[in-house]
Amino acid sequence: MHNWNESLIRGLWFFTASFAVLSVFFIIFFLLKDAVPLFQTVSVQDFIFGNTWNPTGATPSYGVFPLIVDTLLVTLGAMVIAVPLGLGSAVYLSELAPSKVKAVAKPAIELLAGIPSVVYGFFGLIVLTDWLRVAFDVPSGESWLAGSILLGVMALPTIISVSEDALNMVPQMFREGSLALGSTHWQTISRVLIPSALSGITAAVILGMGRVIGETMAVIMVCGNAAIIPEPITNVLSPVRTLTGTLGIEMGEVAVGSLHYSALFAVAVVLLVITLIVNLSAVWILKHIRSKQSAEVPKRHFISPNNEWFWPAVRAVLAVLIVLAVFFLFPPLPAAVLMVFLAALIYAKDRISPNISQKIAFVLLRGAIAVVLCVLGIILLYIIVNGLPALSWEFLTQPPRDLGRAGGIFPAIVGTLYLVAGAISFALPIGIGAAIYLSEYTRGSSRITGIIRTGIDLLNGMPSIVFGLFGFAFLVIFLNFGVSLLAGMITLGLMVLPTIIRTTEESLKSVPTSVREGSLALGSTKWQTIRRVVLPPALPGILTGTILSIGRAAGETAPILFTAAVFSKRFLPTSVYEPVMALPYHLFILATNVPGATKNQYGTALVLLILVVAIYAVAIWIRNRYQKNVRW
Amino acid sequence: MVNMTTEAAVISTKGLNLYYGDNHALQDINISFERNRVTALIGPSGCGKSTLIRCFNRMNDLVDNVRVQGQILFDGEDIASPRTDVVEIRKRIGMVFQKPNPFPKSVYENVAYGPRVHGIKDKKILDQIVEKSLKDAALWDEVKDRLHASALGLSGGQQQRLCIARTLAVEPEVILMDEPCSSLDPIATTKIEDLIEELKKRYTVIIVTHNMQQAARSSDYTGFMYLGKLIEFGETCQIFEAPGERLTENYVTGRFG
Repeated sequence: MHNWNESLIRGLWFFTASFAVLSVFFIIFFLLKDAVPLFQTVSVQDFIFGNTWNPTGATPSYGVFPLIVDTLLVTLGAMVIAVPLGLGSAVYLSELAPSKVKAVAKPAIELLAGIPSVVYGFFGLIVLTDWLRVAFDVPSGESWLAGSILLGVMALPTIISVSEDALNMVPQMFREGSLALGSTHWQTISRVLIPSALSGITAAVILGMGRVIGETMAVIMVCGNAAIIPEPITNVLSPVRTLTGTLGIEMGEVAVGSLHYSALFAVAVVLLVITLIVNLSAVWILKHIRSKQSAEVPKRHFISPNNEWFWPAVRAVLAVLIVLAVFFLFPPLPAAVLMVFLAALIYAKDRISPNISQKIAFVLLRGAIAVVLCVLGIILLYIIVNGLPALSWEFLTQPPRDLGRAGGIFPAIVGTLYLVAGAISFALPIGIGAAIYLSEYTRGSSRITGIIRTGIDLLNGMPSIVFGLFGFAFLVIFLNFGVSLLAGMITLGLMVLPTIIRTTEESLKSVPTSVREGSLALGSTKWQTIRRVVLPPALPGILTGTILSIGRAAGETAPILFTAAVFSKRFLPTSVYEPVMALPYHLFILATNVPGATKNQYGTALVLLILVVAIYAVAIWIRNRYQKNVRW
Repeated sequence: MVNMTTEAAVISTKGLNLYYGDNHALQDINISFERNRVTALIGPSGCGKSTLIRCFNRMNDLVDNVRVQGQILFDGEDIASPRTDVVEIRKRIGMVFQKPNPFPKSVYENVAYGPRVHGIKDKKILDQIVEKSLKDAALWDEVKDRLHASALGLSGGQQQRLCIARTLAVEPEVILMDEPCSSLDPIATTKIEDLIEELKKRYTVIIVTHNMQQAARSSDYTGFMYLGKLIEFGETCQIFEAPGERLTENYVTGRFG
């Protein structure tokens, strides 16, 4: 009788774990199903390499090449901004920051991750593009540069936290070993710590890249959205349009089942392939370092670097490439200046004393963190200062009037709360069940576990707009839910599922095996052990993951864009089959489509910001509190 | 307590006190270490012997909330002072740690690391330094064919000798060893002890150990520490055969530890 119970419970958890995998297959299947009809008319070659994206023209053309190029350009630009700032900040936080500074700066940077992308987009649209317009004296600041700056800022928290973790994972004994040989702190950082953490840092950069490629709302709001390849290719002030932006803009207006509709799903497939490559390589690299750091076996290189010529050759090739790239990208004069500067740098590098290079390096590191914190401060201050005057009792409790120019945002607040509550009650049981299965019922790496894990990684890496498309194709159209609260809840739930699974699994794993053995040795069953011994200490971790998911679901726009949200609805929904208003969507429309709603834009942005940041702050507080208290 | 003349001493402390927060970890330590001799520091866990030698290369600077009072004279200069150039001190006073800590680089790069950060770039000179250091650390024959393989692939004993070679490559005057054999098997331990015997011809060695046989076998002088105090200091044979303090006798005869 007892065994029956145990297998039943095990089966239940296995079912929840499989759910993640099934939903990945489902998403891919539905994207492909709707993408395939395009290729009966347009060849794959024309689609990928076609130079014009004009699906609504008299003779529609579906060439996605400019969109791919623009996506890559925006990503590249964002990385150029985010990698130095992010790495510098991570090194500063991990190595130099006094504990007081660290105690403030770390949560601040984590909060930066919590700001909804539509709020970033709003700031970019109102402030950043305006600055660029004035600074470069161009007709519009909506450009590649604006997109890259904004996305770079958005990628910073990921890059900073993951690479700081990687640096902290470098054993203290390497640090001591290097210092004991009389190297300076900076020599230790640059020659021992960073190389040791290199794989983790690479993974951080790739994860940040994944975030950038998958971002939709901010891109739509600041990039200008012209489907052209910048002319010349280095013209950072040219408007661009990314894959995600195209989906976000056109999906809402397309006729279901048309060729254009199919083409958009094909765009989503391209986007998915790009993000999957990026995210899976990050997962692979992270796995690799874990096995490398524990294993004592000598590492095998593809090309053994003990060849005397190998590294000099690599360096020479790189140097030539950099010189060519610089002269290709910049006009001759700045290029020459840049080359002289680089040469001076290389010349000086080996000739200035270690103490002076340490001083220079530390100034740069402090500069990086200062820039990051300033950006955070500016964004927050700007929205708070401008938003506060809009806040009033009426604003919070009244429905909007005059297309949102007047009145309040009450239905949007309630709609967001409904959506989040529904998403969490859908994702939480499944997510926790899957995590329990993965952490407690599987040992090491069976094939099924491998598949489930890969499924979760895939789900985690999917851009939010892809969830939106899937929700539309499957829930809204196929299951005939219509644009509804229900469709939005499920779409958002799927999106936060991997976060819940991961954080839960991590906190379950942090409970030591000896505790489980202690309970089992007293004759309790597996499930009794899990429920009474393993789950209670893991609860704060699970709670943190849940709260982070709530924050993410509350701030996301792309998944509800076509599944649940409407702009204006005077009354609250009475059933789950009705559409709702939602804060992020409301802000997006006010900012992009309604002229003269300035005051209420700021108000909406501030309410959304407060809501999400408060949720994140609670999560961070819980985590920090219990991290300190629980020591095994 | 034996008072040595400080002229022959390389390092000597005067009224050295160290606090970890409120914990008074070193209490009024006065000790001198003679040039080209091996001095062992023994005592039960937590007695402060590692803390003491980590004062000499200022490794305690890495720990939060540490306060040091008193003097540490190294060639007549007070290296406990906040004005001391710690990087310079660590070049001249090397350290081998309790657990082998080779960097995750090749064997060659591990040894070349020190000379490189101190400004040597010529490949030929580096090659010579690496070869000589590895030979001096009695490791050359075992690794000469895999200089460019990862150091993490060596055995524990080999890793520890690599760390010694890495220290020798910087040509320090003093080598601090913090329980260098505690994580090694008996055969590897013997090799390291033989190596220490060789090293004392050219270096001053200060070794912390909780293994009394090791102290008896390989040192010229021994200091016994207990609860943050230096209880007794003298020639090794005197400490082990005719200890002057009851506490020392109890410890070296194995009555506690």
